Amino acid sequence: MSEGILAKVGQWFKIMRHYGGIKNTVLSLYRYDDLKTGNFIGADKYGNRYYQNTRYFVGRSRWVQYADRVGLDYDASQVPPEWHRWLQYITDDPPTTTPLKKYPWMIDHIENRTGTSQIYVPYTTVPPKIQSWQPPTPSTTTQNISSTKSQLQ
Amino acid sequence: MLSSFNTLSRVGIPRLIITRSIFFRDKKNENHPPEPFKSSIPPHLEKQQQKALEEYKTNEDPSLQCYVNVSEPLPSLDMYQTTKRGLQVLLWTDLLKGFMIALGWLLREPTTINYPFEKGPLSPRFRGEHALRRYASGEERCIACKLCEAICPAQAITIEAEEREDGSRRTTRYDIDMTKCIYCGFCQEACPVDAIVEGPNFEYSTETREELLYNKEKLLQNGDKWEAEIAANIQADYLYR
Amino acid sequence: MSVAILSGKSIQWILRSSNSVRTACLLVPTTSKNVEQKRSVSWYLGKEEHRNYLSQASYFYSNPEYAQWKEKPFRNELMVETPPKRKLRNFKINFGPQHPAAHGVLRLIVELDGETVLRADPHIGLLHRGTEKLCEYKTYIQALPYFDRLDYCSMMTNEQVYSLGVERLLGIEIPERAKYIRTLMGEMTRILNHILAIGCHALDVGAMTPFFWLFEEREKISEFYERVSGARMHAAYVRPGGVAFDLPLGYLEDVHKWCESFSRRIDEVDDLLTGNRIWNQRTVGIGVVTAEEALNLGFSGVMLRGSGIKWDLRKTQPYDAYDKMEFDVPIGVNGDCFDRYLCRMEEMRQSLRIMEQCINNMPSGEYKVDDHKVVPPKRAEMKESMEALIHHFKLFSEGVVVPPGTTYTAIEAPKGEMGVYLVSDGTSKPYRVHIKAPGFIHLAALDRIARRHMLADLVAIIGTLDIVFGEVDR
Repeated sequence: MSEGILAKVGQWFKIMRHYGGIKNTVLSLYRYDDLKTGNFIGADKYGNRYYQNTRYFVGRSRWVQYADRVGLDYDASQVPPEWHRWLQYITDDPPTTTPLKKYPWMIDHIENRTGTSQIYVPYTTVPPKIQSWQPPTPSTTTQNISSTKSQLQ
Repeated sequence: MLSSFNTLSRVGIPRLIITRSIFFRDKKNENHPPEPFKSSIPPHLEKQQQKALEEYKTNEDPSLQCYVNVSEPLPSLDMYQTTKRGLQVLLWTDLLKGFMIALGWLLREPTTINYPFEKGPLSPRFRGEHALRRYASGEERCIACKLCEAICPAQAITIEAEEREDGSRRTTRYDIDMTKCIYCGFCQEACPVDAIVEGPNFEYSTETREELLYNKEKLLQNGDKWEAEIAANIQADYLYR
Repeated sequence: MSVAILSGKSIQWILRSSNSVRTACLLVPTTSKNVEQKRSVSWYLGKEEHRNYLSQASYFYSNPEYAQWKEKPFRNELMVETPPKRKLRNFKINFGPQHPAAHGVLRLIVELDGETVLRADPHIGLLHRGTEKLCEYKTYIQALPYFDRLDYCSMMTNEQVYSLGVERLLGIEIPERAKYIRTLMGEMTRILNHILAIGCHALDVGAMTPFFWLFEEREKISEFYERVSGARMHAAYVRPGGVAFDLPLGYLEDVHKWCESFSRRIDEVDDLLTGNRIWNQRTVGIGVVTAEEALNLGFSGVMLRGSGIKWDLRKTQPYDAYDKMEFDVPIGVNGDCFDRYLCRMEEMRQSLRIMEQCINNMPSGEYKVDDHKVVPPKRAEMKESMEALIHHFKLFSEGVVVPPGTTYTAIEAPKGEMGVYLVSDGTSKPYRVHIKAPGFIHLAALDRIARRHMLADLVAIIGTLDIVFGEVDR
């Protein structure tokens, strides 16, 4: 990053062109707290866009711009697995060039839903082992007696 | 005469040749400015002292020679060093040096990352949120061998098993108490069929504790969600497993 | 002349200034009135003025009834002669457990005289988890993650001491590569710990900048931890019988690059702190422990070496690959906070030296013993061979069966001598696990070191003791 002042000014113009005008640049700064330019690597089906600029060090060199529909409600868990792998530097190949294996039983990505109405609520996956005793009603008792009688006979 | 002059200077009476020692340093002579306390031993004992030191060095336990003294030597009282220290105190050189080092960082690239947009590097071995995997056919892998339940040091896993309609042994309950889990990775090491894994996800923080009591459905859902990446990570790390 | 009598406190203050008056006053019997109850400011006539007034205003006594009245005693004289009866107690404050300079959950009851510490009584146990007892109910492999959580600033050395203990009980020798990996990770852990120790020490005494620089490096070490084990902190990487996984490809190269950049970072911190007058004023001559005291108090590690004792377990009883390493052990002379700081700085440099040697001489071969009664087989093997599968099941259910025996194994952890006393009764679970943690002993000596220091120096001493509560409370 050791460049002259002119290059720095040039970088500013580049950034403004990248974001599309002064107004959009200011809005982006408000949303992302940072202004960077980089190569557009790809977008996932949820609308998140992924960029890369290897001029920055590892950790800053890849970034995501969350989908416009979420506005300021962006969350780190909105990145789907295949892009998560690329974004967290586990691999250098983005899923646009080397797609991961897909199976029909896989489900769409779900973001962390805590604090919303769709939170996960734990429940037991086994039927209760102890059944509560039902007090016998007259009809069932007669039936039972008759059935036991038939069994005895 | 010379020795008495030396002792005088040592007790604090400044030498008469101050200006020379500060401004006209003899750079060729290595012992100028003189080392502190170098001639503190009387001249007639110097040889004896040297001999004793050498003897000590030769007789010293060789295993103790690796110990080096790092503490700062006593400040020298000769005029050059004293003046130097005095000037350093007066001119704030130590503080200014610190300021300059800190200011140097102002021009460097920031080392922080802008988290939700940029993320730090991970490895394929990362042990994060648990997931139950399936075979390619969609059949769940877990055969309820309960090895993970046995090895779990925190006893966070609870398993119950029953025979399914088709006669295969499967779990009916697979609960992980994520509040108890210590993320040691023993469950995924123990699993003989790679069913339970600690996936790459760590962004599952919740607002209530109940949401962290995962049951089988939740774990399978995690598996279905993250399978693409989990499989790729296991593939990437297969040499070391 | 009128005399102002203020509340009892000010009188006492006057009394205090003169010692002779004070002792004389103490002889006054206790029956005299306690003036402390009089809080408000009252004005009385002076003795002479009173007399003058009486002589001038003789009409006052014209009434015979008035003549029978008695003269009011002079309160000011009474005050001077009567010392306030009170019991003096020194001020006691709670230092922590929420204090930013109380590392972790340290709670000190500090008895102060003004700002001088008279007594500093550490109250521990806020992080007690019963690790030792828990380990008795876990198999040898299950007890390993508990050791990560003892001294949670130097995780892998804790695992190392436990693994060495179990290996000694088993009587096995681990492969050369495992030894080198352990040494490499152990020295990385030493840097990790000293970064925290120096950074937080500097932060406690007011230098915030080195903290940020050092923690950037700490973050990188965390990443190295994560790459090798899968967890950034509680690695569970060093296991009885070797290490859990082999080093990934390209790992050593990255560590080497990091070593190069880190030596520059140490120099920066050195430039900033070592000559700095504020740092010197806060550390030089503070918390002095003489060599004799350090031995008597049972110190180890930097606390011992800072006082000039030549003792390092890596040299005296080398474990793993330390006997093949060339390194110096720094010692101090004065035994104050500054010397201990210098020792830590030099130890980090020496650690880098050891790491470089490990990287250069890293042997190839196995990274864990080839005995499936001790370490589980590889996954590929386990999936193909029935015997391996049985071993896998036995190891993860029953665990390693350790022959009966007793061992005390100690290593030079970053904080000092970290030891584990293991008693095996021939089953797969330890009969007794006792942990000798260096921090506990150092904290016990805090009262001794911090006495007669200022309260602010107490903070510097806590910083230099390098206490982590995971190991103190266990």
